[in-house]
Amino acid sequence: MNNILEVQNVSKHFTGHTALDNVSLSVPQGSIYGLLGPNGAGKTTLIRIINHITAPDEGMVMFDGHRLVEADVASIGYLPEERGLYKKMKVGEQAVFFAMLKGMSRREATVSLKEWFEKFEILDWWNKKVEELSKGMAQKIQFIVTVLHRPKLLIFDEPFSGFDPINANLLKEEILSLHRDGATVIFSTHNMASVEALCDEITLINNSHNILTGNVNEIRNRIGGNRTAFVVGGDTALLSQRLNELGLSMTSEKLDNGDTRLLIKRGDAVSMRSIIDLVNSTADIRMIEPAMPSMEEIFIETVKTYNSTHNINE
Amino acid sequence: MSNKTAIIVRREYLERVKKKSFIITTILMPVLMLVLMCLPALLMNVNISDARNIGVIDNSGIIAGGLKDTDLAHYTRVDIEPDSMYSRDEYDGFLIITRDIIENPAGVTLYTRDAGSLELESSLSDNIANIIENERLRQLDKADVRDVLDSVRADVSMTTFRLTDGDASSGTSSAISYAIGLIMSVLLYMFLLMYGQMVMTSIIEEKNNRVLELVVTSVKPTQLMMGKIIGVGLVAVTQLALWAVIMLTLSASVIPLFFSPEIAAEITAYNNGSLDPATSSISIEGIQALSVIGNPLYIAGILGYLLLFLVGGFLLYSAMYAAIGSSVDNIQDGSQLQSFVIIPLIVGFIVSTTIAANPSSSLATWLSMIPFTSPMIMMTRIPFGIPTWEIILSLVILYVSFVGVVWFAAKVYRVGIFMHGKKPTVKQLIQWARYK
Repeated sequence: MNNILEVQNVSKHFTGHTALDNVSLSVPQGSIYGLLGPNGAGKTTLIRIINHITAPDEGMVMFDGHRLVEADVASIGYLPEERGLYKKMKVGEQAVFFAMLKGMSRREATVSLKEWFEKFEILDWWNKKVEELSKGMAQKIQFIVTVLHRPKLLIFDEPFSGFDPINANLLKEEILSLHRDGATVIFSTHNMASVEALCDEITLINNSHNILTGNVNEIRNRIGGNRTAFVVGGDTALLSQRLNELGLSMTSEKLDNGDTRLLIKRGDAVSMRSIIDLVNSTADIRMIEPAMPSMEEIFIETVKTYNSTHNINE
Repeated sequence: MSNKTAIIVRREYLERVKKKSFIITTILMPVLMLVLMCLPALLMNVNISDARNIGVIDNSGIIAGGLKDTDLAHYTRVDIEPDSMYSRDEYDGFLIITRDIIENPAGVTLYTRDAGSLELESSLSDNIANIIENERLRQLDKADVRDVLDSVRADVSMTTFRLTDGDASSGTSSAISYAIGLIMSVLLYMFLLMYGQMVMTSIIEEKNNRVLELVVTSVKPTQLMMGKIIGVGLVAVTQLALWAVIMLTLSASVIPLFFSPEIAAEITAYNNGSLDPATSSISIEGIQALSVIGNPLYIAGILGYLLLFLVGGFLLYSAMYAAIGSSVDNIQDGSQLQSFVIIPLIVGFIVSTTIAANPSSSLATWLSMIPFTSPMIMMTRIPFGIPTWEIILSLVILYVSFVGVVWFAAKVYRVGIFMHGKKPTVKQLIQWARYK
């Protein structure tokens, strides 16, 4: 598979701190990619480098098979996390201004914008001043000017924050539709539920380093593939004792209906079958399912482990 | 200039030029300035106060007969007791002369109903002094001395010409050059400060409402900065150009209408060098002033230089303002760093008032070569007529420095716009400039 974007050994230093330290990652063509990491990890700096806003101190960025040049910015659509509009300018005029900066002609921009405005049912805003709009309204405009020029690569930094669920969903559908039309999408977000739902691949950046990268399902399997969840009725004291004897750990949680939910982590030495036998012999099994860790758990665990092994105070 | 910069320039320019406040100040300012410049000239021809009726209670019997009526007052001798003058309201005031006025000239008292006028008082004192002097001469039997004095009195007023290669007949006066130089200096100071700060505040605003983050996704920060500087600069040039057009039109067409034909003829004569100051109806300085204001060519020349220095000075100062604006979060934080910009501006402006008195001094020459002060100092000196090579050298230094300052400013800007929080120190700004 072709990579639309390859970040190769990129470092960026500022006075007193390093924003990125030898970070590499590859974004496959046509994927939905998650760029994750705690605040201040260096995500925004990386996105700015991809957008040719700042230059890396070391390393380089390949875009669509060649070294990233300024002209490539026209093929990228970036919606920054912190974003605003010119307050005194009229909505339509302003949208045309941004579209022209992306290289569209005035006419082309106007036609295309009217289509989008119609789709979002906001055509009557065209001649309003931005200061008359609510925050959510302004964000719709910002979204439109980001995707208007049909970029090959779309980068969204916390796109759903500030939207109500209905509009957030509308936005998500639009992004997925752009993706179906061939655009590669990078999400930078803290919203792990949306990462699980949307992303094929992720990179987790922590403290200026890429500490976890790969396919979402593979990562979840790799980190949590040996966990199994049971819902059982009856007393679990005996089961707990037996598991301890086998050297297995278990967490349990009482459910409202009196049943117990067990999470059993199995080592390589013990087979799945023997665990099921064991549970079956000591309690009434109501349900068994593989317990994949959520991206949220993986995020927290990975960052914590990394920080403790590198002696970093959060 | 790249296409993207042009789009930025267009936005910055239109946003400001379409503002109502811009249109109003642009139209009103030149009218106001011309009115201020011409007011004294107009007042010479227009009599704004009505003559007052002054009753004269002359106990000496010498003064009342000699008082001449003027535009300011008519004098009538009245024989009434001073106590009854309050009830005689056909008179606007009373002048009381003591019996021994010739020996004791301090014995003059003026009562007026409304506020006294300085002009009336001084003309009255002159008038009375003249009568007393004549009377004293008469008592000494030396009445003819007055005629002798009148015949030897000399009124000197100079007509000066500048020795230039070209138009040797253009009359100049230091007073006019002084005035024009100072006006130019004030104008530049105002423009540089006003439009420089406009660049700064608009950058702070963009940074604060984060529209900048969206703009830099498609434009390089440096392009955005240059676009803003050029856009705001064009607004300044537009304003100056409109002022120039309005003022030239006014000075070429409207002003001559205010002059009586004889003054117009005197101005023409003055410009030809054939005016005889002794016969002119107003002072030679007045003629000079009117001739300059009414000479579109001269004004156009000055405005041409003004444009060059304005553009150069603006580019230099606005680049510094841009760097400051990018590095702070609000105008308050900007004020401290701003002193680096304002101090040279103020120095240039204040020194220009001294320079105007002595435009060829070595201080003047040096300061008009230093780019931070040269626009104001040069514009103060140019009306006096200075060697062209000095002007060219000063302009070259100014524009070359601009390139250097803009390079530094752009380096600071592209880092500063993404920095939020603590106000940076100058040392930090220099570190930013070193980032790759």
